[in-house]
Amino acid sequence: MRVLVIDPDSARAALVAEGLAGVDPLEVRHRPSYDEAEAAAFAPDVVVVATESPDRDTIDSLRDASLANPRPVVMFVDRSEPGLAEAAVRAGVAAYVVDGLAPGRVRGVLEVAMSRFQLMNQLRKDLDKAKADLASRKTIERAKALLMKERGLEEEDAYKLLRKLSMDTGRPLGAVAADLLAFAGVLKGDAS
Amino acid sequence: MTGLVKLGFMPLDDAAGLIAAKALGFFADEGLNVELSREASWATIRDKVAVGALDGAHMLAPMVLAQSLGIGSEATPMIAPLALATDGAAITLSTRLGLGAGPSAIGLAELVAQRREMESSPLTFSVVFPFSTHNYLLRLWMAQASLDPDRDVRIVVAPPPRMAELLAGGVIEGFCVGEPWSAVAVDAGVGVVAARAAAIAPRAPDKVFATTRAWAGENPEVLQALLRALLRGLEWADAPENRKTLAALLAEPAHIGVPADLIAAGLRHVVFHRDSVARPEPVQAGWLIAQMQRWGQVPADADLAAALAVYAPEMHDRAAGLA
Repeated sequence: MRVLVIDPDSARAALVAEGLAGVDPLEVRHRPSYDEAEAAAFAPDVVVVATESPDRDTIDSLRDASLANPRPVVMFVDRSEPGLAEAAVRAGVAAYVVDGLAPGRVRGVLEVAMSRFQLMNQLRKDLDKAKADLASRKTIERAKALLMKERGLEEEDAYKLLRKLSMDTGRPLGAVAADLLAFAGVLKGDAS
Repeated sequence: MTGLVKLGFMPLDDAAGLIAAKALGFFADEGLNVELSREASWATIRDKVAVGALDGAHMLAPMVLAQSLGIGSEATPMIAPLALATDGAAITLSTRLGLGAGPSAIGLAELVAQRREMESSPLTFSVVFPFSTHNYLLRLWMAQASLDPDRDVRIVVAPPPRMAELLAGGVIEGFCVGEPWSAVAVDAGVGVVAARAAAIAPRAPDKVFATTRAWAGENPEVLQALLRALLRGLEWADAPENRKTLAALLAEPAHIGVPADLIAAGLRHVVFHRDSVARPEPVQAGWLIAQMQRWGQVPADADLAAALAVYAPEMHDRAAGLA
């Protein structure tokens, strides 16, 4: 497990390492401020950032799913902010907030943050796939309608023809349907 | 005296309304016991306001809208009853780009095209937060010159106080940030101002004073008293005869911690109160939502009416004695 700790104060990185004792392999790297190039090379499994770090906005933006390598982020709340971690967790603001005191809780919190992150990522991927599937189904419907009209086929035969094209070319049905529509457009002069 | 009211701010010239109202006793005049807390990041301010660790704060207007929509964080219904400042942001480019004393977006576009031919890495620019007027101003400025901010350059997030250092270190080639951080980069000889906010989108909404809808609902009279004191703070900060005192006040380590002459240089561009800029106009929330949509930050099913309702001009009007 690779953990990157961004914290102006070095004491808490030691706390993270202590809390993760027994995890093997383990590398906890502490830096007072965030450096994108170094972080990319290190490829941490999770980033821990102190609330008082000015780099928090940068690190927060790395959770953005539109990035190539989004990373789970855990936040350390300073002990001078009593109740903030609890309130934040309760409000669902951040599953990535821990209180800075108990090393025994570090491992659990990091694991929850990572698995929650994986789950969210998976949900997002599933959603993207569902959207793509839906778009593909619509394309197939349109290609089928085109075949029925142009070739005078019944719906089932139009579908069979698409399936055959798909199998002959070894390409997905949606892609074959999209090609068919594109070629039909060219032949009609739509895409000149 | 009311109970303690905790307000957060970021170290920027446009936090002047809060800082002046506290220092000059405008909060106390309203019987308010206000504690100001300097924060290190926008995300932390957002979360602290959401959970009640802060009662209200100096916040990025688009961040407040995003927070209400649940984009980038859990959804928390918010209220923005006051605009705190406008025109304080600027786009600053690294002197090392060699684009001269007054670099233009066209010049940058030519450089980007040259670098693409040479297969150099894309230029990197920093903004203060994904949901910030700074992000939208930078993108609008680039788009004027037919640059695609998502394809032709890289836009990252960095904290304002680190912008000059990142520019000097060659980590970024430009940034869009509120004053005094452009003045700091220019003074250090590492940056040159390419465009001011007023030249890209004059009077664009930037910072607001915001709180949760829940807190505003539970504390309507405290909120009105806060708004009255803040309006006095903004009016005082805007007066030319007070600017020198204001620069010295903001320069204090507990506030911004940057030399007063640099603060004063940046302050020349910031508008706090004149021309009714403190009124949170719903049309400005609409402008921000349009920017968020243009750059793909808003899902198609977002409740835009709820986002528009964040701007609460009626609360401003009551505090200003207009209603």
